[in-house]
Amino acid sequence: MNKIREIALGIVTSIGGFLDVGAIATAAEAGSSFEFQLIWTIVLGTICVIALVEMSGRLSAVSKHTLADAVRERLGFNFFIFPLIAEVIVDFLVLGAEIGGVCIALQLVTGISFQWWALPVAFAIWLLLWKGTFGLIENGISFLGLITLAFVVATFKLRPALPAVAGGLLPTIPQQDTAHYLFIAVSILGALISPYLFYFYSAGAVEDKWDRSHLGVNRAVAGLGMGFGSLVSLGVLIVAAQVLHPRGIQVDSYEQVALMLTQPFGYWGFVLFAASLGVACFGAALEVSLDTAYILAQAFGWNWGETLHPKEAARFSFVYTVFVFLASLLMVVGIDPLQLTLFSMALTAVILPLTIIPFLVLMNDRSYVGDHCNGWISNTITIFTIVLTFVLAIVAIPLEVLGG
Amino acid sequence: MASRELHLELLLGKCVFDSTGNRVGRIEEVRAQQQGDDWVIVEYLVGIPAIVERLSAWNLGAGLLHLMGARNLHKGYRIPWEQLDLLDPEHPRLICTIDALKEISQQLERDAH
Amino acid sequence: MDVIRDVLDNQIVDRNQRKMGKVDGIVVELVEGQPPRLAYLETGVTTLAHRVHPRCSRWVAAIASKWGAKHTEPFRIAWSKVRNIGIDVEVDLDAEQTPALAYEVWLRERVIKHIPGGS
Repeated sequence: MNKIREIALGIVTSIGGFLDVGAIATAAEAGSSFEFQLIWTIVLGTICVIALVEMSGRLSAVSKHTLADAVRERLGFNFFIFPLIAEVIVDFLVLGAEIGGVCIALQLVTGISFQWWALPVAFAIWLLLWKGTFGLIENGISFLGLITLAFVVATFKLRPALPAVAGGLLPTIPQQDTAHYLFIAVSILGALISPYLFYFYSAGAVEDKWDRSHLGVNRAVAGLGMGFGSLVSLGVLIVAAQVLHPRGIQVDSYEQVALMLTQPFGYWGFVLFAASLGVACFGAALEVSLDTAYILAQAFGWNWGETLHPKEAARFSFVYTVFVFLASLLMVVGIDPLQLTLFSMALTAVILPLTIIPFLVLMNDRSYVGDHCNGWISNTITIFTIVLTFVLAIVAIPLEVLGG
Repeated sequence: MASRELHLELLLGKCVFDSTGNRVGRIEEVRAQQQGDDWVIVEYLVGIPAIVERLSAWNLGAGLLHLMGARNLHKGYRIPWEQLDLLDPEHPRLICTIDALKEISQQLERDAH
Repeated sequence: MDVIRDVLDNQIVDRNQRKMGKVDGIVVELVEGQPPRLAYLETGVTTLAHRVHPRCSRWVAAIASKWGAKHTEPFRIAWSKVRNIGIDVEVDLDAEQTPALAYEVWLRERVIKHIPGGS
């Protein structure tokens, strides 16, 4: 019964925590610019995420070591330093974008410029990390994140034509605006297949003290949680396609994106959008800050843990404290949150191969995963994802220039 | 007896040449055994396949390499400790020749099985 | 035992399972005519930096000598203290008593405790 409860909790938190600033921005852009044509990208990204998240969980449950631990230990520091530095830089930019998302949500509701909100928001994030436990952050905020189901409800209210939606499941390349289309496709994949997700999930498995008996829970949470979570992302795309696309509204600012929910919900749609954006980004900001502290602590072998009191993990706590305030400065100086979001998604796509390649080694290493090595299906998906991410890494920056 | 210190992690990846200047390969792994109370180095593993060995990905690695066309995959060399001259740790030197090493390596493989 | 795979870069834990860094380096003793002996495990950011580039190690040492615990020497653990080598390297020491946690302790005493909620 306990395991069933864990599965349910895990699924709910995955759904509530699925959206972040990158997922919202890229899905909205996709819907507004290309209607339903990019639905297949979200589906593809979700399949890869499910496989990789399941592997992260399995690795940690069996070995009691996190992904970051394992990459340094098995592939050596001379390899690990590359994904480590890349991940810290990307985390910094993504954190800035997430904080920006919260600030924009507050700006939408109060009219006060997002730059003024940056430091208060950073302080709130820090306070929750400092005082809270891992359970509070993982579960509490993700429960609040269920407000993003507003997008799913909106999808049903708007009654999109099902054949058109189904058509989006097949990959097609349009003749016009091809560069822009491909750029959004790459950004969606970068937003969905986020390295911080895997490092965080595996650290979470260790924080929650998972063991071999949790392998079933892990599979259920990865499969159903991420699967249902992607429906929220699809909801954003479909609503944008129904509301923004017919009006020819290009997504240049979050104010325009906010109009999405006003058609199905009226004035309250605007508030719902702001609340969804704010909560989703706040939760993601917590995760990204923790992720940076996790990977640095695990890279160097420090004591770490969100559930620990800050004084028991001094270096770990110090890292997230400094990081949150530094990242908020990106918003204080007025960098456009939407531009930062799209840029950091493209950059994520560039560093992805470095994060995924270790999976192939680690998930076949018996000293780490014992009898629970990858079967041929998991290995095939991993190899496919590595090839996919290599392609993404090569085309991301050129597409940013051509179609961004 | 005078003793020197050496950092093993800095030896990793260094290229080994034999007495005639031929390239043997890069040091990828170091094998140690317990002798009494101490642990001592018995051999050094050298060569590309040694990386695969180190990553314990032999099945997967060999499979992938076969797919890519590498047919006669030799397992790299095993250098017994006494055959490696570490006077200059930046440039480890094989004391014997590469041919002699091939015989030694093969003998060690046969003994192991 | 495969030293690079099973020891280098692995997590060091003390006798209470407390984390005290990773195996950043391994020091061997070379004596003429005898097989090289595994002498020490080394843990420290300068050792790690040296693996990237020797100059890196000098920068890191320069920064470390001015900041915080002002501790630059890597910490050496004699091989005789190694109790078990599995997924972690267990050593027969108490982490708090060793310089391995110099910065951790310094941050705890000088910074964390002064922030509300930190003590």
